[in-house]
Amino acid sequence: MKKLFYKLCAALVIGAISIYISNIIYTKYFYKNDLELFDAKMLLKLDSLQFNSDVLYFAESSNGTTAYSDTCLLSISQMMDTLSPLKINAIEHGAIHAKTYLNLIKHINSNALVKTLVVTLNARSFGSPWINSKLETNLSQANIIYESMPPIFKRIKLSFNAFDNKSVQMRDYINEQNWSKNKINVPEEFPYKTVRQWDNAMANGTYLLPNGDWDIPKISLACSYIKTYAFSIDTLNNPRIKDFDEIVNVAKQKNLKLIFHLLAENVQYADSLVGKELHHIMYENKQLLIDRYTRKGAIVVNSFELVNGKDFIDQNWTTEHYNQNGRWILAKNVLKQIK
Amino acid sequence: MLFNSLHFLVFFPIVTLLYYLLKHKYRWILLFIASTYFYSAFFLPYILILYFIIIIDYICGILIENTKNKAKLFWLLFSIISNIGLLVYFKYYNFFVDVLVNYLPNIKHLDIILPIGLSFHTFQSLSYTIEVYKGNQKAEKHIGYFANYVLFFPQMVAGPIERYDSLGKELRSKHVFKFKNISKGLRLILYGLFVKMCIADNLAPLVNEFYSNPTQYYSSSAWLALVAFSIQIYADFYGYSTIAVGAARLLGINLMDNFKQPYFATSFYQFWQRWHISLTTWFRNYVFFPIGGSYVNAFRWITNVLLVFSLSGFWHGANYTFIIWGFLHGLFYLIEKGFSNLIPVTLAKNKIFLTFGAIATFILVTFIWVFFRAENLVKAILVLKQCFTYTFDAKKELIFNYQTIAMLVVLILLEISIYKSRFDKFLQNQNITIRWSVYILLAFCLLLFSGIQSYQFIYFQF
Repeated sequence: MKKLFYKLCAALVIGAISIYISNIIYTKYFYKNDLELFDAKMLLKLDSLQFNSDVLYFAESSNGTTAYSDTCLLSISQMMDTLSPLKINAIEHGAIHAKTYLNLIKHINSNALVKTLVVTLNARSFGSPWINSKLETNLSQANIIYESMPPIFKRIKLSFNAFDNKSVQMRDYINEQNWSKNKINVPEEFPYKTVRQWDNAMANGTYLLPNGDWDIPKISLACSYIKTYAFSIDTLNNPRIKDFDEIVNVAKQKNLKLIFHLLAENVQYADSLVGKELHHIMYENKQLLIDRYTRKGAIVVNSFELVNGKDFIDQNWTTEHYNQNGRWILAKNVLKQIK
Repeated sequence: MLFNSLHFLVFFPIVTLLYYLLKHKYRWILLFIASTYFYSAFFLPYILILYFIIIIDYICGILIENTKNKAKLFWLLFSIISNIGLLVYFKYYNFFVDVLVNYLPNIKHLDIILPIGLSFHTFQSLSYTIEVYKGNQKAEKHIGYFANYVLFFPQMVAGPIERYDSLGKELRSKHVFKFKNISKGLRLILYGLFVKMCIADNLAPLVNEFYSNPTQYYSSSAWLALVAFSIQIYADFYGYSTIAVGAARLLGINLMDNFKQPYFATSFYQFWQRWHISLTTWFRNYVFFPIGGSYVNAFRWITNVLLVFSLSGFWHGANYTFIIWGFLHGLFYLIEKGFSNLIPVTLAKNKIFLTFGAIATFILVTFIWVFFRAENLVKAILVLKQCFTYTFDAKKELIFNYQTIAMLVVLILLEISIYKSRFDKFLQNQNITIRWSVYILLAFCLLLFSGIQSYQFIYFQF
């Protein structure tokens, strides 16, 4: 037993020294490559931007544009920067969500120039399809890179699967379970109590579109709206709630002014394609988010119904991508609160 | 739970500590709870499938022992049908739907997830009832020990497929704490992690990249990708098996070796004596021998060999590609057998001839792996075609970085060193300087050069 104890001690000491040396080597020679590998360069960007920006705008792809018809290619944050005397920069990356924002915000130094954070509050990101998206594995890996710890520990966590590493089949399965089992918040007389029932009815044509049209692309889009937006936010278990709550706390600790930008959703299309029940569910979720985060002391800029259906770039899918009209409207709306 | 996860690195020391603190008569309870927890970490509801297998085969074992003739056969068949039925339902149902969809248009796919390691559990459990039926094994009366035989967490998801007479006995034996077991177990775990994380996980992105679009690559890259997959699949499965043997050893339990440097094999016959040994043994004992084995006429023998190899391919996955993979192995095995009678004994023992045999076997095995890796037959043919498509058009090259090459060099040197031994035994015979140099080398490799995008063990899907 004594022999084992000594050997264990020796192993622990050698292990600790190995980790220390490895951290030096890794940070110097390999860390930047891994940042690139996981598309996690935002960390480097944040390191410089926090010292030369008054406002940092944290966003997913909603900030920019992919519209060929746009003559103005400025992102929402750039539009805000143009309209404001303050220096406004963006930390952005497609498909990221509250967890990434949180990890990045934790990196902001107490002596940084930035004093105001605008964080996009994307209602769709609270739904099961986004939480269990197949992109989540990569995002979880990138989130480890964004954590505040010595780089070698991040590498160990990545190598040893300390992230959400579910298979695509498992994620699909969880989504299906959520759609089949979770009750949705609809009036009593509504015949469909779960997303699965509603989606099936829509897909099979038993639930007609409000305007009487019935064609495959519209049905497909309507189904997508149901699966994406027909959920009721569970404030106890939803991981986004946990992360946004934590963002509020971190911002308070760092004495930063926090603005949540509740992004515009294509409510018009949801209404016309699916009907007033979906509109009702979306409205309830919106209201919950506004109430919750206003109560917690953050400023919530409500852009939820501000953009017209035609000003969404993706006309056949559910996204928060806006053309230049939409982006100008949103930029001006957020700017009102910054002033 | 994955072996290469922080979850396991916390879970396993706790289990080991509790195991040695507990009295022997309570250890089966700990192992049962630990194994249940280990499996539930993948997907909780599927533990019920394992419990179902345990209950069915436990009862069948007792009934087979206590009955005679037709009743005995009935309970054996009941066990076989229950186990194979589960396998067919979860693993092969959708494949058969694809085959039959033209004849039965109303038949639909099942929207289910394949339970991890189902083929391993069912085969291991079946071997028990078959052995009880043959009278070689007494039925286990203690359901706890039998449950641990099916569930034993170090080997439950990807083998080695153990027989009850070895693992059952090991589980029942009283294991006292021995430093030797701890050091041997830890060595094996360290080496297994190195092989999986530094070799397999570094090669995986290269192989995946190539197989996602093989026609974009030069033929030289296609060859490289084929070799890379040969090494990846070996490192992946060998790494898992080594960790499994090491983890069991820490608990004082000996598991069989599933690999013996298969790529040093000088023939297909030798390859199958060195690759996935427990599965080869299972098919030999429970399929090949019962259908006549080698003691039949030449035509029947050829049919038997091809059938068993094709079945072993089908065991891996519900796809034509796996059947072809198995069939080709059988075919080359037969061709080799045919030629071996023509080769003089002196030549067969010649070192140059044996080296040539090893190279030829490796090349052929590498080509056949294409059917194992490709998602479908079209992709497999495309990959093989790409190996022989020479063009002046601009194409992509598969690039191995220096780290990966360095890791491969370390692996090859270590594999040559342990050629006639096993990693733990090899180190046992070295002096302290060499031993600790190897530990530190492997620890640095794991810390700095392990694949940062971790991949699940390939054999978990079977």
